[in-house]
Amino acid sequence: MEFFLQQFTNGLTVGAIYALIALGYTMVYGVMKLINFAHGELFTLGAFIGYALLVTFGITGRVGLGLGLAISVVLVAGLVGVAGHVLERVAYRPLRHSDRLAAVVSALGASIFLQNAIMLSWGANYRSYSADLLPSVSVSIFGQSFPLLKILIFLTAVVVMLALWLFVHRTRIGMAIRAAAIDQGAAKLMGIDVSSVIAVVFVIGPALGGIAGLIVGLCYGQINFGMGQLYGLKAFTAAIIGGIGNIQGAMVGGLLLGLVEALGAAYISVAWKDALTFVVLIMILVVRPTGLLPERVAEKL
Amino acid sequence: MRFNLAAAAALFLTLGLVLLGAQGSPAQDAAAQAPPIKIGLMGPITGPWASEGQDMEKVVNLMAEEINRNDGVNGAKVVIHSADDGGAPKTATLAAQQLIAENVVGVVGTYGSSVTEATQYIYDEAGIIQVATGSTSVRLTEKGLTRFFRTCPRDDEQGKILAQNVKGLGFKKAAIVHDNTSYAKGLADEADALFKTSGVETVSFEAITPGDRDFTATLTKLKTQNPDVIVFTGYYPEAALILRQKKEMAWDIAMIGGDATNNVALVESAGPAAAEGYYFVSPPGPSDIKGEQAAKLLDAYQKKHDVLPSSVWAILAGDAFGVLVEAVKNTGPDPAKMADFLHKDLTGYVGLTGPISFNEKGDRIGEVYRLYQVDAKGDFILK
Repeated sequence: MEFFLQQFTNGLTVGAIYALIALGYTMVYGVMKLINFAHGELFTLGAFIGYALLVTFGITGRVGLGLGLAISVVLVAGLVGVAGHVLERVAYRPLRHSDRLAAVVSALGASIFLQNAIMLSWGANYRSYSADLLPSVSVSIFGQSFPLLKILIFLTAVVVMLALWLFVHRTRIGMAIRAAAIDQGAAKLMGIDVSSVIAVVFVIGPALGGIAGLIVGLCYGQINFGMGQLYGLKAFTAAIIGGIGNIQGAMVGGLLLGLVEALGAAYISVAWKDALTFVVLIMILVVRPTGLLPERVAEKL
Repeated sequence: MRFNLAAAAALFLTLGLVLLGAQGSPAQDAAAQAPPIKIGLMGPITGPWASEGQDMEKVVNLMAEEINRNDGVNGAKVVIHSADDGGAPKTATLAAQQLIAENVVGVVGTYGSSVTEATQYIYDEAGIIQVATGSTSVRLTEKGLTRFFRTCPRDDEQGKILAQNVKGLGFKKAAIVHDNTSYAKGLADEADALFKTSGVETVSFEAITPGDRDFTATLTKLKTQNPDVIVFTGYYPEAALILRQKKEMAWDIAMIGGDATNNVALVESAGPAAAEGYYFVSPPGPSDIKGEQAAKLLDAYQKKHDVLPSSVWAILAGDAFGVLVEAVKNTGPDPAKMADFLHKDLTGYVGLTGPISFNEKGDRIGEVYRLYQVDAKGDFILK
């Protein structure tokens, strides 16, 4: 039982990070029917901007731990959001009325461009968030000790996801996003500015991915320019498992994927962990081709 | 008409250049007249091991500049042709074809064993000498290729030293972790086999995924099997994460690794507190290399790039370049004669990492592995 609980929390932490990244894939897909392959690189960018703030600039040493972290989160989200917006303007908007394949190629190109741009600006070496950046505190639950950081990561992810859900379902912009997701043409006729809806989606999705990058930096300490590939792939899988285009689906898919990985490693085999992940993906797609929580046309996003 | 015009212009330009060249020649020195010696460098300039590849390139370029400043090799300049293998077998085959098309006489590189393996036959068919720099997998030199050499040692020697040290340090139950690359799996198998004969029990034999960040699930599982040492045969990025995460779990267990963890980035990533006490076996790192040549090169490197190379592999690339130049010096730029020379007549040559000579398989002769331990400050201490 102790072993199970330990592995369960291991899985939830990893899953929460996957879920945060998966939200970016799923939101963009919901509105534009486009897989933003550069999303993994925006996640990497978040990790590196966090590195610049926390390590190079040493913000926590200047303004205190709590405030420093808060500023970092806001700045990372803001800057990566801006990067996402620029990406949309440069790589996707000119292709909005062309073939869908063209947009996919453009997305792949943007991914390669961003990855190499990050390598050239920060170098090819691994960079590290210093281990003593955050105090290491453990809390005791059910007689088990868990690192506070992991619990905070999980809670942060849940809060961010709830806020996003409220934003999409309880605000006017959110309503516009949902409308554009259902039918862009009809939304336009109803007087919704679809271009700005897409712009908003391309700010929020990358901002969440950037925050995930910052979290990975803080939690594992090691970042490099290629880190977005594996995380991007896993998060993309999570989005598909949950039903791409569906926000709740991305959360469920991410957490499920994290749990499958941790428990698979624990009870079956560490080496087969990734194979297992994709076996689960295939099984879910065989039974439910649209994912666990498929996008229902009336309530898409 | 336009096409003809362009062709005519090109013709005139070429003629002009030829004439100019002919006029300018008497004043030039001999070095510029002899055709340059083309040496290829295949390394992971991009990709997951990009820092290794970029260091390789810097070291080799630095050495080539030095040679050219001193009148070249037998009066000919050395030109380095770099090709990026991306740390991936697929990209490497393209890099190899590119270098062959550029008519190099020999190739320095590369780092990863699986990457080198993908290119061995390509170079062999083209009749080009390949001197690998970080590829320690045993089977690379067991194929009977007559033009393949390496300046790094082999994993069977590494496995032997690793197993000896695990036993020598008094460990009884080992958990072996590799990452399924041909290097890490090979070394893990080697160590496992030797443990059986030396009385160390292997309680767990697991593979992780390189590029993963979270190994807590793996570590939590290993912990239930009660090993007294983790033997990790993979690369430094994952080793650093494992060290840091086992520290965060408050699991106080010794860990020993192979030469792919010999990189200062290990300590930066893990933090000195988590890395303290970590053992690894490796050829001596840049700062432990004695000798005038190495000191001179490292000094020049530091002046130019502000830091030392982050691992020993870039230095071994320098040695690979050095033996190729030595062969050209003695036999001229003919790969067949050069290979013959490297197999038989390379004696008394002192490279950056000490004396270098090759056996009939193309392996370097002599033992080079040492045991290192990370101290409280995060420095690598030779044991």
